[in-house]
Amino acid sequence: MYILAIDTSADETAAAITSGRKILSYISYTQILQHREWGGIVPSIAKRAHEERIDFVVAEVCRKAARYIKPQGGELLKKIDYIAVTHGPGLAIALEVGIKKAKELAIKYEKKLISVNHMEGHIYSCFVQNSRGKPAGEFQFPYLALLLSGGHSEIVLFEDHLRYKKLGETRDDAAGEAIDKAARLLGFGYPGGPAIEKLAKEAGDKDDYKFPRPMIGTNTLEFSFSGLKTAFYYFFKSLPDEEKTKKVRELASSFQQAVLAVVLAKMVLAVEQTGVKNIVVGGGVSANHRLRSQLRALAKKVNGRIFFPPYPFLTGDNAAMIGVAAYYKAQANVFADLNLLDRIPRLSFA
Amino acid sequence: MQIIPIDKIQISDIVKALKGNGLVVAPSDTVYGLLVTAAQQKGVEKLIRFKNRPPGKAISVFVADFKMMEEYAVLSDRQRKIITELLPGPFTVILKSKHKVSVLLESEKQTLGLRIPDDAFIVALVKQHGVPVTATSANLAGQPPHYSVASLLGTLPQVKKDLIDLVIDAGKLPRHKPSTVIDLTAPEIKLLRKGDILVSASKVFRSASPAETKKIARYIFRKISHDQQTPLVFILKGEMGVGKTVFAKGIGELFAIRKIISPTYVMYYEYDLPGKKKFVHADLYNLEDPSEFRQLQFERYLVPGNILLFEWGERARAIAAGLKKSAKIIMVEMKYCRENEREITIGY
Repeated sequence: MYILAIDTSADETAAAITSGRKILSYISYTQILQHREWGGIVPSIAKRAHEERIDFVVAEVCRKAARYIKPQGGELLKKIDYIAVTHGPGLAIALEVGIKKAKELAIKYEKKLISVNHMEGHIYSCFVQNSRGKPAGEFQFPYLALLLSGGHSEIVLFEDHLRYKKLGETRDDAAGEAIDKAARLLGFGYPGGPAIEKLAKEAGDKDDYKFPRPMIGTNTLEFSFSGLKTAFYYFFKSLPDEEKTKKVRELASSFQQAVLAVVLAKMVLAVEQTGVKNIVVGGGVSANHRLRSQLRALAKKVNGRIFFPPYPFLTGDNAAMIGVAAYYKAQANVFADLNLLDRIPRLSFA
Repeated sequence: MQIIPIDKIQISDIVKALKGNGLVVAPSDTVYGLLVTAAQQKGVEKLIRFKNRPPGKAISVFVADFKMMEEYAVLSDRQRKIITELLPGPFTVILKSKHKVSVLLESEKQTLGLRIPDDAFIVALVKQHGVPVTATSANLAGQPPHYSVASLLGTLPQVKKDLIDLVIDAGKLPRHKPSTVIDLTAPEIKLLRKGDILVSASKVFRSASPAETKKIARYIFRKISHDQQTPLVFILKGEMGVGKTVFAKGIGELFAIRKIISPTYVMYYEYDLPGKKKFVHADLYNLEDPSEFRQLQFERYLVPGNILLFEWGERARAIAAGLKKSAKIIMVEMKYCRENEREITIGY
């Protein structure tokens, strides 16, 4: 089963062609920019409308997938079975572009549409395979899904394909957002995660400053990172200038420790409360090695298995994960109505 | 004494208790309060016995709305104007009594303290009851107020507990201060007790917690006379961590939108309002130049009845200038004073 998937939920214009769990081709516009050295910085949502990129991105994934799928009369999309698109959560005007394109192609090629929750995609990102079916491995439900990105922080019970239950989420800022803001304060650009992680490592992952760990002791699976951000900001501002530079590694390290301590505590609590031991972790922050090693230790301790996105690009926003989630929807005959499908900017799991 | 959780109780049962001279402990927008029917001598006596309150010290009352207030107090045009600015909210206003409530509630100067709370539960209760109820905090005279039922009951001797007929338990209340008391009968407005919100002519508010910032947001929203003929635009300025998203949450909660999170990552989120209107919560933190602002196409949200709120509004100075004709603009400037203190200045 071949699926063309489109994701335009935030600043990436992404498309992929998948077959079951396998990626046949994928592309996202910011990568193209970097490859072509058109600037090197990540373009913001506003700088170039998704509209300007979407046709190009779809054409590129088709061109690249031609290795695996023989185009019919020069048109690869004729051989595609379904068209999948992210309908939320995300930025309204960005989501609209992807949905409009998906509808247009669905009509033109007479294909059924599948709408996918972007966060559902992040869960499935742990099960995406390359074109040769690597990594292998079957599903072993249920899982606790920890989703940490620039826009979201939540813990979801992934009971079975397409069956999710939200256990807790952030009340204010996402983990990735707090990290980005701390990084910017320390003088590093977007995305801030890799910079913070590198600095922290150089400081030996020490926790000199003991920043607050919001909600760490509460008996809920909710997060809050706004208070930590605030504490960090005003503490940083109060430092003498030379200290700000001299202690940049220690500051980054203590900040990262605070974020990860909360995340880990909530996952320990989630395992306790649900008895579920298998864990999947998705979203940009899942690229953090310190987080990975701490969560691996947790999984080992409780005799569970843990899965991260197997390829680096799958931690960020991408369409391959949307295509894989859509595959399970297609198998369950869950399709979107062409006339009713609309973006839901604050879409969330029940 | 009966203790019933707030989500299990029928308002009609509380009204029944109040009608039968009952003493009811109920949560309000400030602290747990002691409710009796203000016009019933027996109930009021019970209340005074409970509180150990020296006779002659006034006890204020909850009314449901301005109409009920006019039935029980004498209002001049000037007082009416001030009151519509303040209420509903955490204020007790002192006015000349029309002597329709128990005389034990009035002060020696024959004035009465009245509140219209920012609290749907109390307002619904008083409305259904049809007459004012007392609005005094559920503590013994001279002791601090209580924020949970457990803390209240823990301090009470059995003889006091026996006086209580019904307790409505809403768990732990946020730590709001008791209301600010303002005497409107004096030639110059006198502040008798400082509560959460301080009023001043320049519309400067002080907040001591996120809960208070939300409350100030709701208060401001209610005070803006807005005819819905234009969109309403809040422009929030202030540095990181000052509570801009908290302010947005306060506005959202007026419409029962409880899932507001920071929109930094995606620039803005939209939420549904009644009547197919939208609440747009935007964050311009990641905006780099004005042309990006144009590309976000906010103008398509500029329709009457919609509410737009921009965090980091200083990054798009042009918005305010460009919108003046087509929208009602509220400038909100937030400043960090101390760890738990923010100054919020409103301009419109």
